[in-house]
Amino acid sequence: MRIVVTHPQVPFAHGGAEVLAERLTEELNERGHEAALVTVPFKWYPRERVLESAFVWRMLDLTEVEGRKIDLLIATKFPSYAVRHPRKRVWLVHQFRQAYDLDRTELAEFGERAVDRATRRAIHELDRRMLGEAEKRFAISRNVADRLSSSLGLDAEVVLPPPQELDYRFDEYGDFVLSVGRLDRAKRVDLLLEAAANDPALRVVVAGAGPDRERLEQVALSHKLNGRVEFRGRVDAVELADLYARCGAVYYAPVDEDFGMVPYEAFLSGKPVVTTTDAGGPLDVVADRRTGLVTAPRAEELAEALRYLRDHPAKGQEWGRAGKAVAERVTWDAAIERLLG
Amino acid sequence: MKVAYYSPLPPERSGIADYSALLLPALRERVDLVVPARGTTKPPRGTDLSVYHIGNNPDVHGWIVDALRRTPGMVVLHDFVLHHLVAGLTLARKDVAGYLNAMERDAGLPGRLLGLGVVDGCVPPLWSTRPEDFPLAGEVLDLARAHGLIVHSEHVHDRARSGGFDGPIWRIPMPVWPAPPAEPAPVEGDPVIGSFGFLNANKRIPQLLEAFAVVRSRHPRARLLLVGPETPGLELERRIASLGLEAAVERHGYVDEARFWALLAACDVAVSLRWPTMGETSAGAIRVLSLAKPLIVSDVDAYGELPDGVVLKVAPDEREVESLAASLLLLADDPARRESFSAAAQSYAASEHGLDRVADLYVRAFEEAAGGPAVREHLLREVAQGAADVGLEDSEAIGSALREVGLGR
Repeated sequence: MRIVVTHPQVPFAHGGAEVLAERLTEELNERGHEAALVTVPFKWYPRERVLESAFVWRMLDLTEVEGRKIDLLIATKFPSYAVRHPRKRVWLVHQFRQAYDLDRTELAEFGERAVDRATRRAIHELDRRMLGEAEKRFAISRNVADRLSSSLGLDAEVVLPPPQELDYRFDEYGDFVLSVGRLDRAKRVDLLLEAAANDPALRVVVAGAGPDRERLEQVALSHKLNGRVEFRGRVDAVELADLYARCGAVYYAPVDEDFGMVPYEAFLSGKPVVTTTDAGGPLDVVADRRTGLVTAPRAEELAEALRYLRDHPAKGQEWGRAGKAVAERVTWDAAIERLLG
Repeated sequence: MKVAYYSPLPPERSGIADYSALLLPALRERVDLVVPARGTTKPPRGTDLSVYHIGNNPDVHGWIVDALRRTPGMVVLHDFVLHHLVAGLTLARKDVAGYLNAMERDAGLPGRLLGLGVVDGCVPPLWSTRPEDFPLAGEVLDLARAHGLIVHSEHVHDRARSGGFDGPIWRIPMPVWPAPPAEPAPVEGDPVIGSFGFLNANKRIPQLLEAFAVVRSRHPRARLLLVGPETPGLELERRIASLGLEAAVERHGYVDEARFWALLAACDVAVSLRWPTMGETSAGAIRVLSLAKPLIVSDVDAYGELPDGVVLKVAPDEREVESLAASLLLLADDPARRESFSAAAQSYAASEHGLDRVADLYVRAFEEAAGGPAVREHLLREVAQGAADVGLEDSEAIGSALREVGLGR
């Protein structure tokens, strides 16, 4: 089949959603399809730009290219699903969350003026129509599917995206807790640092870069963590696999995350994951006392959970192995079979 | 965003006043709302949207139309037939020309001539005799065109569209009144059937009495409660006597809220018939459903939109009495069926007419109406500029794509 994958692009930014769209295209090609990734730059500010960016997608003709029909289109993220195609499917990474659950929060994009409110409503209407007209809807996590259902009344099947390819292995059940991910406030690395302040025996390695790094380093300093926290910055695939292989547990507790690849990567390395009750997507796979620990989002309770894992390595390994069995079922074969089925 | 909300409010005795009294606290939790006092025709400074509740009663809604004329805005159209309102705004203010113009607008020259007949006293007042044939909603629809209409039913939606209204329309169900924990009033009878509201020919009381006589012949303990003031000319007493139902019909006249709920709670089945209608949605019918009572309605207009399986419907045709009797017997004979309608009624009232849902839909409509035109105009300007830059002055494809994504007019 000739398949187009659509994805909006923020120039110079490259995160999990971009990796997902690229991998999907590659995996489709590896399975004998002819797949191409189509991207259009996306700018969401000032607020008027959001609708213009969405409308640009509507004006594209992706029904055929050079006289040859495009059999299927798989859209991923807002606003790339505004594109018109008779066989449009959506694998929803996320909606424009500022118009939904992030509205009137500190991450809000829209104010209280009438035009702000109306722009937000126009995005809802656009989503309702553009997602509603899709032949099939999938979501990358239960959290994303639930948000779609509660905000617009549209259903979506959950198809989990497989984790990136790394040299996953289990070397040891080491003495440090690993945090992986972009350093921004929503990833909530500071909660882990506060837990470390609660437990003088806790060692932390933070892998990842981002705008919150400086503040987090200040937090570590203010808690006098004195070398117990190590900021590695951006790490390559080899180093990341090595950290997963050697850590004792992986911490991953963003605020209401859409999906989160990190727990799967941890599991494939046989490591348990510690998350929080409000983390969203990770709760699809991190089951308390089965594949890791789920705590309230409070430093003392997080410290207690991490201490438990340090004191009970056999439990941690057991949960890590259980997680691995879960993660191994999340494959590209399984995902593509459902996306094209 | 600030909304000016023009509506009658208690202690005015009007269904719409009660409606707003129920809705306002839920709206105030969601939006900055100002409620101008009765008689105020100018919206407060900084208002983004003025919203006007319009019904057919000129005493209650006349000043609201005056405010709407001064500052066009969004209209919540509770009745489609506004003949009585328009007569009050024109003839009662000695504005004969205004009435004749409204009649001509609805029905052309014959309408104007008929209006002249009314003015001259040769034709009985149309607001009493044939209001549904001359709804006279045109001016109100015009004033709402830019900001839109809120209606409660598909019926009113369709009538507005067929009347040429091309502005936005939001259909928002009536909110359900929270039922107080009422002890059923002590009423002898099995089954107990109730009709609530004004007793008049529109409510099909004569037909109800005839159908009830059929039920009574098979269920000698059956009892009919008629709760509400009788309008003159109905000859209720004579009708009841002629059917031999004196011992089986209880009349209650006007009752207060508490008594209303207690009597409703005592019923096994409620009947809410109406024909002809003014295009309104019955708050009473929704109240009955919220109390999980099996309900029989007329299969017309907004009433007919209630889902099958939630209510039983009877068409107001030549077989009305026969169909009504059959529906009453269906429920009277089979308690399990009553149970099933009861559960469906309660579930429907909670999901479709829940106050929070209704308030959310209102806020959505307010937000779309207040800023929507500016948002659309901006986008259209940007897109048109882009098209013009590449030499396309007028592209139908662009307009069509804008409509597809919900951003066109």
